Amino acid sequence: MLFHTWTFVVFFAVAWPVYLTVGNTRLRDPWLLLCSYTFYGWWNPLYLALIAWSTLVDYTAVTLMSRSAKDRSRKIWLALSVCNNLSLLSLFKYAGFVTDNVNALLAWTGVPYDLPAPGVLLPVGISFYTFQSMSYTIDYYRGRIARESNIIRYATFVSLFPQLVAGPIERAKNLLPQLRSPSRIGVSDVTDGLSLFVVGLFKKIALADYLALYVDKVYADPARHAAPALILATFAFGWQIYFDFSGYTDMARGAGRMLGFRLMLNFNHPYLATGLGDFWGRWHISLSTWFKDYVYIPLGGNRRGTLNTYKNMALTMLISGLWHGAAWTFLIWGALHAVGRAATRRLESTSFYRRKVPKPVKQALVFLFVSFAWIFFRAHSLEDALVIVERIFTSGWSSADFPLWAMALVIMVWAYQFVCESRLRRLAELAPVRVLMVLLMILYLAFVPGGDSQPFYYFQF
Amino acid sequence: MNKRPDKKTVSIESADVSAIAYASHCVRLSGMQWVLTGAVAILVVALIPSLAHRTETFVPGENYRIPYHLSEDYWLYEQLAARACAESKVLVIGDSVVWGQYVCPNGTLSSHLNEQAGGTQFANLGVNGTHPIALAGLIASQGRGIKGQKVLLHLNPLWMSSPERDLQTERPVSFNHPALVPQFVPRIPSYKATIDRRISVLAHRLLPQAGWAEHVRLAYLENSDIPAWTIEHPFGNPLSPSTSITLYPEDTPRRRPIVWEQAGLEKADFAWVDMEGSLQWRAFRRSVELLCRRGNNVFVCVGPLNEHMLTDTSLVRYRLLKRRICRWLDDNSVAYFAAETLGSGLYADTSHPISEGYASLAAMLLANESFTTFCCSSRSP
Repeated sequence: MLFHTWTFVVFFAVAWPVYLTVGNTRLRDPWLLLCSYTFYGWWNPLYLALIAWSTLVDYTAVTLMSRSAKDRSRKIWLALSVCNNLSLLSLFKYAGFVTDNVNALLAWTGVPYDLPAPGVLLPVGISFYTFQSMSYTIDYYRGRIARESNIIRYATFVSLFPQLVAGPIERAKNLLPQLRSPSRIGVSDVTDGLSLFVVGLFKKIALADYLALYVDKVYADPARHAAPALILATFAFGWQIYFDFSGYTDMARGAGRMLGFRLMLNFNHPYLATGLGDFWGRWHISLSTWFKDYVYIPLGGNRRGTLNTYKNMALTMLISGLWHGAAWTFLIWGALHAVGRAATRRLESTSFYRRKVPKPVKQALVFLFVSFAWIFFRAHSLEDALVIVERIFTSGWSSADFPLWAMALVIMVWAYQFVCESRLRRLAELAPVRVLMVLLMILYLAFVPGGDSQPFYYFQF
Repeated sequence: MNKRPDKKTVSIESADVSAIAYASHCVRLSGMQWVLTGAVAILVVALIPSLAHRTETFVPGENYRIPYHLSEDYWLYEQLAARACAESKVLVIGDSVVWGQYVCPNGTLSSHLNEQAGGTQFANLGVNGTHPIALAGLIASQGRGIKGQKVLLHLNPLWMSSPERDLQTERPVSFNHPALVPQFVPRIPSYKATIDRRISVLAHRLLPQAGWAEHVRLAYLENSDIPAWTIEHPFGNPLSPSTSITLYPEDTPRRRPIVWEQAGLEKADFAWVDMEGSLQWRAFRRSVELLCRRGNNVFVCVGPLNEHMLTDTSLVRYRLLKRRICRWLDDNSVAYFAAETLGSGLYADTSHPISEGYASLAAMLLANESFTTFCCSSRSP
């Protein structure tokens, strides 16, 4: 089920009033679980078996950990949980990639054998809920959270529908206490939730889906387009993916807020970042912090010398790239960020960079680098990505045919972000300005976009 | 157990999430502000379509029919129906037979009726592809302004000629105007849209601006929305397109008016569905009942089907069906004219006459006492 469909409106119109009624009774968790499984099973009810399996294994692993006195036994149950989640991911997400590459290698070495294609479809949101569930077992093992004894509540934590399929990847220490405490939904929760939802809807339908029309056209056949179109399509994709994903997050946080849950912030004006480190602190925050806590730090973080720090950082970025998709393009995207981060880490901490380089220059440089890396993220194949890079620098200049209407929308949003991070923020916070903005967004959504809704970009991950 | 690492060792910086109270933007409304915003939004959404209708400089001429490419512009149909209610004596409602698939706007049934009866009494409210189930939906929603009128309702029995045309088969069938058919109840076995799609259709029926927005897309933006239009016209202004000419019909037939035998069409052996189980027939009855409930004076024209094109066995079944249709109309005191088949050379296919065929049908209708009584009667039954 997609947030920006009428089906979700009907679903929420049923789920929410019932939730308000049973919010402070023993029926709250079962109702939320039923809603969440309905929401997820809408795509394919068979996927429910996977999420139920992941939930059951992690719940059991933590229960067994809690009964084990020895650290070795606890480690075994932790390993079981982690292996189970990674196996699910490997099977459904990476089996095809591995098979393709092994077959290519076999062909290259002249071995007359082909591994059969696994032929499994990627279940929506598997990368998100497996990470969320895994963080619970790891945090419990580390002694950072208490065990959740109620399996219905734990299953609700794993599958809570607002953030189930594309995050934010919540941590047990944030969400489980909210599920345990009595539901308190005030007027401000409803109005704030609604505000978040409308903004998210606008980002997705009015901006992301619009820019996607241009990006899809150019990226479908990059060899037919010249540098201006390729450059603009790449910038447009940067905005598309931001609006798409942060729009989803806003809607998720809005729906969650209306149910009384405060889900974590996932985006914070990433394109106003002044360094790559700053960018990763603003982009997909729940994933960045997940990788920091469960990959980078366990690898050693920056505690074992400069070389190890760079190695750990590079590994983390590569794994992050692979998390996004099973393809060489994603791996290269991760590698580019690893290289970029390694190259600029020292620079960003110098007083010259912090004080002498003008902020707009830093922001422009970060945006340019991030946009360049998006080429590999968005291209259909490595060959396409290389064609795009090559043509950006070698093809002639011709009209990009980028719609002025879209340009105007992006400039308005960019200007708004600058306002939000400047002293002018007070202007944007004036009541008439806010009312007018929401009104314009609602009217735009009511009259302008077409009928067909596009799925969220991050669903493929 | 692992030691908790010192936060200072973290080099992938993260924003201080807890310090950001709300979100990365300032758009946050209070309860009262939401009420105000909602009220203004509802007002604008409700007002813009009617204001736009007043500013749309479009005058349908004599014998106007909805252009083929605007067949799904139900908002335009609603406006036309309202105009026809005010300006015409008889509204002629039906599918492509009324619309005039093989003829120019001046060769349709309504235009021949006007010509033979004198004046512009008859308005063409036919829409291409509106099988009875869709027509029932059109009358229920966009035809709700048709009240206290005289309505000549055409029934094209062809829609009952097979389980596929009757939309009875469980196998998916592609058909026109899916947005007009009942989405859930009564169930249409051949309609296989997803639940998401069905809910979306129902929502669009309820939203006051949805029909108008669709009208703008179809009539002014080459059947695309503003974003898609700007992709095709990157430097154009979607708010000032100069394409209103599309509201006027093409002055040519949709299909070349070739007599069916010359076109090489073979005789058809239609199985015909059982009338009691026919979904199209039930929908047609709903249309009649709805129009009557709204105080309209309804006259039904059954056919005329091209009986020359039916095999002998099919013809026997068709005539039985036709008799049963007439019986139902008699039993329910609905005035009707069950047209005899026209000359073989007056048809372009199974159900569509060519212009001379319409002229002949109009003459037959005007010679029918029941029809002339209907035409001369007061609007309300």
